[in-house]
Amino acid sequence: MRKTLWAALVALAAIQAAPAVAQDAYTVGVSAAMTGPGAGIYAPVVEAMRIYIDHVNSRGGVNGKQVRLVVLDDGAEPSRAAANAKKLTQDNVLMLVNSSLSSTYAPMVAESKRANIPLYFAGSVCPKETYPPADPLQFCSSAFGANLDSQGALAFVKAQAKEPVRIGFEAMAIPISRAEIDYAETLSKTMGMTPVEKQISPPPAPDYTPYASKLKDANPNWVYSWAPWVAQVRTFEALRRLGWTGRYVTWAHLNAEEELARIKDSEFYVIGTNALFQDDLPIQAEIRALTHRAKLTYPTTYLTEGFIAGRVIESALKATAWPATPQKLLASMNNLKVDLQGLRGGPLEWTKDNHFRTRQHYRVWRWDSAKNAIVRVQDWQAIEVKRP
Amino acid sequence: MQLAVNVAVLAAIYALISCGYVLIYRVSRVLSLAHGELMMLGAYGLAVTASLFVGHPLIAIGAAALLSVLVGVLVYVLLMRQMTGESVLAAVLTTIALGILLRGGMVLAFGTQTQYPLQQLGWTNASLPVGPSARISAAGLLLILGTALVYGGLFAFLRMTRWGIRMRAAGQNPLLAAQRGIRLHGVYALAWGLATFSGGIAGMLLACDAGVEATLATIGLKAFPAALVGGLDSLAGALIGSLVIAFVEVALISYVDPLLSDVVPFFVLLAMLVVRPWGLFGTREELDRV
Amino acid sequence: MTAPRSSGYFRIRYEDDFALIDTRTQKVWLGVLAFALAGFPFLANSVLLDLANQVLLVSIGAVALMLLTGFAGQISLGHAGLLAVGAFTTGVLFRELAAPFWITLPASAVAGALVGLVFGLPSLRLRGLYLAVSTLALHFMVLHVGQEYETRRGLSSGVVIEPPSLFGYALQDGRAWYVVLLAASTATVLLSLNLLRTKTGRAWRAIHGREAVAEALGIHVPVAKLSAFIVSCTLTSAAGCLAAYYRGFVSAEAFPLFVTIQYVATVIIGGIGSLLGALLGTLFVVLFPYAIEASMNALGLTDRLSSMIFAINQAAFGVAMILFLVFEPQGLVGIWRRIQAWVLLWPFGQKPLGRP
Repeated sequence: MRKTLWAALVALAAIQAAPAVAQDAYTVGVSAAMTGPGAGIYAPVVEAMRIYIDHVNSRGGVNGKQVRLVVLDDGAEPSRAAANAKKLTQDNVLMLVNSSLSSTYAPMVAESKRANIPLYFAGSVCPKETYPPADPLQFCSSAFGANLDSQGALAFVKAQAKEPVRIGFEAMAIPISRAEIDYAETLSKTMGMTPVEKQISPPPAPDYTPYASKLKDANPNWVYSWAPWVAQVRTFEALRRLGWTGRYVTWAHLNAEEELARIKDSEFYVIGTNALFQDDLPIQAEIRALTHRAKLTYPTTYLTEGFIAGRVIESALKATAWPATPQKLLASMNNLKVDLQGLRGGPLEWTKDNHFRTRQHYRVWRWDSAKNAIVRVQDWQAIEVKRP
Repeated sequence: MQLAVNVAVLAAIYALISCGYVLIYRVSRVLSLAHGELMMLGAYGLAVTASLFVGHPLIAIGAAALLSVLVGVLVYVLLMRQMTGESVLAAVLTTIALGILLRGGMVLAFGTQTQYPLQQLGWTNASLPVGPSARISAAGLLLILGTALVYGGLFAFLRMTRWGIRMRAAGQNPLLAAQRGIRLHGVYALAWGLATFSGGIAGMLLACDAGVEATLATIGLKAFPAALVGGLDSLAGALIGSLVIAFVEVALISYVDPLLSDVVPFFVLLAMLVVRPWGLFGTREELDRV
Repeated sequence: MTAPRSSGYFRIRYEDDFALIDTRTQKVWLGVLAFALAGFPFLANSVLLDLANQVLLVSIGAVALMLLTGFAGQISLGHAGLLAVGAFTTGVLFRELAAPFWITLPASAVAGALVGLVFGLPSLRLRGLYLAVSTLALHFMVLHVGQEYETRRGLSSGVVIEPPSLFGYALQDGRAWYVVLLAASTATVLLSLNLLRTKTGRAWRAIHGREAVAEALGIHVPVAKLSAFIVSCTLTSAAGCLAAYYRGFVSAEAFPLFVTIQYVATVIIGGIGSLLGALLGTLFVVLFPYAIEASMNALGLTDRLSSMIFAINQAAFGVAMILFLVFEPQGLVGIWRRIQAWVLLWPFGQKPLGRP
C-alpha cells in the first residue's frame, strides 16, 4: 500500500509537467465537450473558433500579438471540467471559455471566481446570470435565449396565422427544455392562442409515434418545439407519418440548414438568431474560403456559432492593451460591441449590466419545394433584453 | 386503432432486442449488457455498407446482416470464451466493459454526427395506412415483419434443426451436453452470432427510422425490462413481455403522463422481480450467487 | 485479529491481538504514509490537489461498495442512485431550508439508510444477477425523482450549493477540502476495518460464502443482508453529500449509469474482498483518464487526437476492465500480494498454487 502510494505520487509529479506558457501571446483557455454526449452541439463551436483564431493569427494576430487557444476536452463531465478549469488558470489564461453541458457550469464558475478571470459561454446555453443584472464575471454569446426564443417563435406564429391558433408543444424530458416549453405554454395563452397539448419525450425514445399520436389527436394547427434537435425533428417526422398537415415551428440548431434540405417539407419552419448560409452574405463566402483549406470534422454550415465566438474573442482582445491582464480584458468585455457583419441581426453588445446581449434578433426559414431551396420567411425581428 | 399500431411497433422493437438477451442467457447463462452497443454497431454497419454498395440496397442490407453475425461470433471467440467458468458477476462485468469499449470505439471510428442509412440506401420511410384511421411507417411495418420472421425462424430452428436442439441442450444442462459430445464453444458462438444478428436487425431498422447516433445504445437498456418480465430464458416470454411493457408505456403516454413512460417499465420490472423473479415464462431456477 | 505478516512471537497481550497493526515495520510504514499524506497539500499544485481530493471522495463510495459487493456478496448496480440520494438531499435541504452542513450530512446519511433499506429488500428474495437488475431498476427510479424535483422547481441546470462552513470557516480552498476528505476517508476505512472484525462483518462473510451454511450456523441471513445494504448505502449517501458540496452543484445528469460502472470497476479492478483493493481500485479508476492523456501528451499525439480523447478514454477503460477481468480476476490486490510474496520469499520464491 505504501509502496503503491509512493509510486503513484512519483507518477503524478511526472504527469504534472505543464507546457511552457508563451509569454508573448494572448492566451484563452477553453473547456468543451469535444467528445461524449452532446458533442455534436458543442464541438463544432470550438472547431470554428479554432479556425477563425488561426486565421487571425495568420494575418498578424491581435495588436501585433498571436492569440493562443488552449482547448481541453471535458466530455460534458463536471469533474473533468473542474480539473480543466484549474489547469487552465494555472497556465495563466486571460479568460475561460465554456462550450459544454450545463452540469459543467458550476465548477467553472467557481474556478473563475477564485481566479477572478472572466468566464465566457460560447455555444452552451446562456445561464441566467448573464442576463441583466449580470454576474460580473460571466458572459455569453450563444444563440439560445431562454424565454426569448419562445417569445420570438410565438410572435412569428401569431403573425403568420390566418385563423385562430390551436398550438401543440413538444419538449424533451430534460429540465431546460421542459422549462422553456412550460413558459411557452403560459405565454401562448396571453397571446390569444389555445394550447391544446403538451408532450414530453424521454431522451432515448425508441419510437416517437406514441407521443406524436397524442399530439395529433388534439388536432393542433401549429406545433412548437424547443429541445435538442433529435426530439424536435423526430416528433415532426412522426406527426407527418400519422397524416398531420399542420405547421411546425422549431429552434434552428447548428444542423438546421442541413436538416431542412433533408426533410424537404414546406411547413417545417426553423427560427434562429444566426444567419443560414442560404442567406448568402459576403462574410459567409469568407468562412467557406477558410474552411475549404482546413480539415473539418463538421460541415461548414455548423460553424456560424463558433465564428461568432471567435470574432467576439478577437474584438475583446483587441480592446485589451498589451501587456494583457484578466482585469483589462474584463473591462473591455464590459463595454463591447462586436460587428458580426450580418451573421446575426445586429451587433453583439455587452454592457456592465448585460452580459448576454442588448437585443436578440430572429429570422425564420423554411424549405421551398418549388424552388428546391431554403427561403427566408421572416427577416430580423428584434426583441429587447431588459432587466426583469 | 392507432394505439394498437403504436403498441405493436414498440413491442416489435423491444421484442427484437430482447430476443438477443434471451438467446444468450438461455444458452450460456450470461446476461449480455453489451447488447445495446452491439445493436448500434449493426446500425453503423448498415451505414457503412450502404455507402459502399451504393445503388445495390439489398446487397448492402445482406452484407450488414452478415457482418452482425460475424461480430457476434468474434465477440464470443475472442472475449467471452475466456470467461467461461468465471463467476456470474465477472461475466456480466465483462459484457459491460465490452459495451464501454464499443461505445468509445464507435465514436472514434464513425464520429459524433448522426448518419442516415436510409438516405444512403435511396429509400424513404413512407407512411402506410392501416385500416380506416391509423397509419404506420414503413420502418414500423418492417419491424413487425422482422420480429415475426426472426421469432418464427428461431422457434423453428430451436425445435427442428440439429444445431437448435444442441443449443437447447447446452442451455439446459451444459455438463451433460458436453459429455454427450456437443461442442459447447460452437453452440455458444452460434448463440452470440444469432443474438447479435437479431440485435443488428433491430438497430438497422431503428436507424432507418431515426438515423444512427450515440443514443441508440441506451435503447438496448430500455428493452431490458421486457426480457426480464417475460423470463430471461424464454423466447415466448420475451414476446409477451415486450407486448406488456410496450402496452404499459403507450397507455401511459396516451392516458396519463408521458414522463412516466420512461420509468414505469422499471417499476414493472421491479414488481415482477419481487413477485416472480424468473418472469412469466422463465424456468424456475436456482438463482445464482456471486 | 489480523493475520501476522512475519514469523516470530509478537503478541504478548490480548490488546496486541486486537490491534490493527502489530509489527514495528508496519508501524514505521504507517508513519511514513501519514507523513506523506500530511505533507502532500503543501507540495502539490492545485491540479494535483484536485486529483487527490477526487481520489479521496471516490474512495469513500468505493469502500462502501466493497463492503456490500466484495464482502457481503450482494451485487448492487444502483450505486450512482445512492450518491444521487445523498447529493439531492443536500441540495433540497440547502435550497428549501438553507440548512447548514452539520444538518445536511446527517440527513443525507439517514436518507441513505432509508433508501438502502428499500434497495436491500429485493435481496431477501433475489440473488446474483436478478438482484443486480433490481438495483438497476431502483437507480433509474431515484434519478427520475431527482429530475422531477429539478424541473418542478425550475432549476433547469441543477441546484447550486454554497460551500459548507465548518466552525465558521468556509470550505473553498483545495487544501481545506483535502483535510476534510482525508479525515472522512480515513474514518470510513477505519469504520469498515472494525466493522469487518465484528459479528456483523463475519456474518457478511458467511452469507457471501454459503447462505445455507450461514443460516445453519445461526446467522440471521435477512438481517445480515439488510445490514450490509444499510451500512453501505449510508456511507455512499454521505459520500454523495460531500461530493455535492465539493462540486458546488447537484444535477441528475451528474449520476449516469457510467458512474455506477466506474465504482463497480474500482471494486473489481482493485480486487474483491479486500479494503486495500478498494483503495487501489479507486486510484486506478480516477487516475486512469489523466494517465491516458499524459501518455498521449508524451507521445505527441494531442493535436491530432484531442477531439477524440473522451472516446479514447472510454475505449481504453473498457480494454483495461476486460484485461483485468480475464487475466487477473483477483485484481490489483492480487498483483500486490504476488509482489509482496516474491519480495518476502526471495530468493526462495515459487509460484503459489491457488489463492495465497
